[in-house]
Amino acid sequence: MSPFDRLHRRMAREMEQDRLVPLHRTRRRRRLLVAAGAASVLLLWADAAVSWAIAPSDTAVLVNLVLLVAMLVIYVPVVTALNSATRGLASLPERHLDERQIAERLRAHTYANTVMRVVLAALGVVILVAMWDEGEKAQIPGAAVFLVVFALWWTHFLLPLLVAGWRLPDPPPDEDDDAAGQAGVA
Amino acid sequence: MAEEQVFNRIAVLRADRGVSRRDLAAALGVHYQTVGYLERGEYSPSLHLALRIAEFFEVPVEVVFSLKPFPKLGSTS
Repeated sequence: MSPFDRLHRRMAREMEQDRLVPLHRTRRRRRLLVAAGAASVLLLWADAAVSWAIAPSDTAVLVNLVLLVAMLVIYVPVVTALNSATRGLASLPERHLDERQIAERLRAHTYANTVMRVVLAALGVVILVAMWDEGEKAQIPGAAVFLVVFALWWTHFLLPLLVAGWRLPDPPPDEDDDAAGQAGVA
Repeated sequence: MAEEQVFNRIAVLRADRGVSRRDLAAALGVHYQTVGYLERGEYSPSLHLALRIAEFFEVPVEVVFSLKPFPKLGSTS
């Protein structure tokens, strides 16, 4: 078994742990998690915009650092909880998923792809408008270019998980939970 | 296409045979939640999975799946 296989098996096992279930038990909670995940991505876009406006400068470096830390503080718990909610649907290789999960993953990628097309078109328009007045002499700071590409990549990377988390119906109750509930009532 | 619905008797058969959702899922090689979604009618299986479910319960596939709702237990129709 390759190290990647071992890693994926461990990831699959971790995603079956029930300790995070209270965070994503209801659709409302899952959608709040998705909103927080989207906010973390927006922080990256804000980071790129700040760099465009004021880089290169010490203030830009400081703001970048603060925004990146804030983004990570939101991102890590949210993605962990969403992966637990979707049971790794958007993160695990296909061989660890069944046909329902693969179908749902394809659906999530299809919606994410549509959203990504809108993001790319909007980015093109924003760049065109921002540089319109300067014409051929327009310049973009290198840091801003890097951060825009980084934000684009991250958005593309995270969108399928956000879409899957948003669409996820309430899972059927676990029979163990049912049995425990009935034992508690009796 | 989204309106297509396939009815099934997986929950009834499972209860009749005393098979847990996790055991059935393990035998079919699917996630246990998938069995739950199947039972709730929120997921229609592929032909392959449908045939394997019928094979597991040792019944013809039309005993497990139908395009029309199954009659309730005890009903005469």
